[in-house]
Amino acid sequence: MKNGERGKELETRYVMLEIKNLHARIAEDGTEILKGIDLVVPKGEVHAIMGPNGSGKSTLAYVLAGRDDYEITEGDILWNGESILEMAPDERAAKGVFLAFQYPMEIPGVATMTFLRAALNSVRKKRGQKELTTPEFLKLVRAKAAELGVADEMLKRPLNVGFSGGEKKRMEILQMSVLEPTLCVLDETDSGLDIDAIRIVSEGTTKLRGPDRAMLVITHYQRLLNYIVPDKVHVLADGRIQKTGGKELALELEKSGYAGFIGKAA
Amino acid sequence: MNVTTLRTKAESQLREQFDAAAEGLPGTGWVSTLRARAMDAFAAVGLPHRRIEEWKYTDLRERLRDVPAPRAAAATTINAADIDRALGPIAAIDADRIVLVDGAYSAELSKVTAEATVIELMSLAAMLKKAPSWLEGKFAADGGAVVALNTAFMSDGVLLKVRKDQDPVRPVLLVLARTAFEPSAIAVRNVISVEAGARFTLVEAHIALDGAARGALANIVTDVTLADGATCDHIKCLVDQTGSTHLATWNTSIGKNATYRGFQLTASPALARNDIAIRFAGEGGKLDLSGVFLARGAEHIDTTLVVDHAVPACESRELFKGVLDGRAHGIFQGKIIVRPDAQKTDGKQMSQALMLSPDAQFSSKPELEIYADDVVCGHGATCTEIDADLLFYCRSRGIPPDVARTMLTESFVGEAIEKIENEDVREAIGTLAIGWLRAK
Repeated sequence: MKNGERGKELETRYVMLEIKNLHARIAEDGTEILKGIDLVVPKGEVHAIMGPNGSGKSTLAYVLAGRDDYEITEGDILWNGESILEMAPDERAAKGVFLAFQYPMEIPGVATMTFLRAALNSVRKKRGQKELTTPEFLKLVRAKAAELGVADEMLKRPLNVGFSGGEKKRMEILQMSVLEPTLCVLDETDSGLDIDAIRIVSEGTTKLRGPDRAMLVITHYQRLLNYIVPDKVHVLADGRIQKTGGKELALELEKSGYAGFIGKAA
Repeated sequence: MNVTTLRTKAESQLREQFDAAAEGLPGTGWVSTLRARAMDAFAAVGLPHRRIEEWKYTDLRERLRDVPAPRAAAATTINAADIDRALGPIAAIDADRIVLVDGAYSAELSKVTAEATVIELMSLAAMLKKAPSWLEGKFAADGGAVVALNTAFMSDGVLLKVRKDQDPVRPVLLVLARTAFEPSAIAVRNVISVEAGARFTLVEAHIALDGAARGALANIVTDVTLADGATCDHIKCLVDQTGSTHLATWNTSIGKNATYRGFQLTASPALARNDIAIRFAGEGGKLDLSGVFLARGAEHIDTTLVVDHAVPACESRELFKGVLDGRAHGIFQGKIIVRPDAQKTDGKQMSQALMLSPDAQFSSKPELEIYADDVVCGHGATCTEIDADLLFYCRSRGIPPDVARTMLTESFVGEAIEKIENEDVREAIGTLAIGWLRAK
């Protein structure tokens, strides 16, 4: 599909995520991080957000997931046409929002299986679906885990405790595929991973690409986008989207770096 | 100058109770003398109070206003099913069982299948009556006021020995059951010996049966001796709902290359003081001590331990975790002594409290006394609320806040419970702890 054709189609395609003039600041000290973000992700598309360190990428991810360390001072986030700003993180998750963390948390004393089950049954309950029985659940998780190369033994261990960087990221993708969100936000999923781990994680993510799902892939480097090829690339700097383009924009950035945008922002 | 020590009401009651009960307590001859001396030793110092450093946070003189009378021996009408019901998940542990009812050994309710060549078991009361001379050496003279009271009043307990190189495989479940409808006091003394190369798992369960009176007082002393190369897992659990006062003392000596893993679950007594004194008696000994204390309302749980690295090349680990709600007060005092000879000592200690209420209180006092120079020793203490980042992580996965909080609280105590080796025991203790946490 050529760019021109897509441009036309965009207007008519159903918009899943719409971020309008979003301003956010750190609740504790009032530092403004997001300074008017406008972004539209239509159904079925994968958009990449690239930007220098400190540009507000992770803040955007957290704000989408509903972290209360940030205050929204202006603007709105619409998910399937509905504002999610007033929703708690768990309500957003039930609505289909999923954030794969840059630094996944360790939960000692809670087996990965137990955690996954609590999460899945919570969202299923809120989505009006029946909770899964133990055999149904085990079958589902084992199948998805096998696809991602997650060993059974790992599922018995406390969540993320003693996992390597790659294992933690794989676990995030496993959670994502089990919870079947409709908006996947991946925050620096490639950071700290070697090429093999990036490939596994990317393949797992690519499997989730589909016509009913939107994805935001946040990354500093272009390399992840070789595996998860985006429909669009947005450059975020100084709390605003500075430029939007096709996947070739990522390659340009790889060559020229973010210097131009940082200069512009300053 | 003569100083007249004023006795508190409780101290006077204890003396009167002793004078009244002494005749009926098991043992004559040296046993009677031992009891009388212990009572005098207690009377000389009285109940421990806050001006004594180790009792700074648990002022027994202040808190023990009235002491219930010792439980008079009574015929027991309870059966194994009653015990099982009170044990809850602990009953499911596949174990040999020894039962003491109101401080008296019950032959009917006890069942030990291990051969006498593996485990030697005697009732302390029976042996005190016989008073063989070897028994006299089992009672240390310098255990402090609480142990002295125990020595004066001890009614029964077990003398248990796991013979050299034996492994009974199944744990022994030692049940200390209370049935009395009147508040009463019990004093039990257990003497456990794990001989060279032997292995043993002991689970102490302190329970109150349906209808047991509130406000009871228990003073339990357990002496454990591990000979060279022995391994012992020692687990104690107390989940109280009867506003009782629980004074428990563990005195453990760890022989050369021996391993001792101790765990204590203490939930909801009105007041508990867990004294743990560990002494390394031979090189290469290993200690792994952990515990969970759970308190709400005005409950008060004090864990005070002293680990004495008296010899070189021993390793000690301590991890204690508390969950405190309401106006509860949790205390952890942990002293590690490294004697001048004890080079190559490796000691680490951690105490952590999770505060569920702004009015709860946690007092932590780690103390390191190090007299050797080639040692690795460390300690840490934390006192926190539920981690906001973890809570957000759980909620971002769709888990509602109340479920996430419960899960994170369980995770917090789970880290200590995971240290229990025996799977049955670990699961039973986990179930008890989770039951308490969810009973909010």
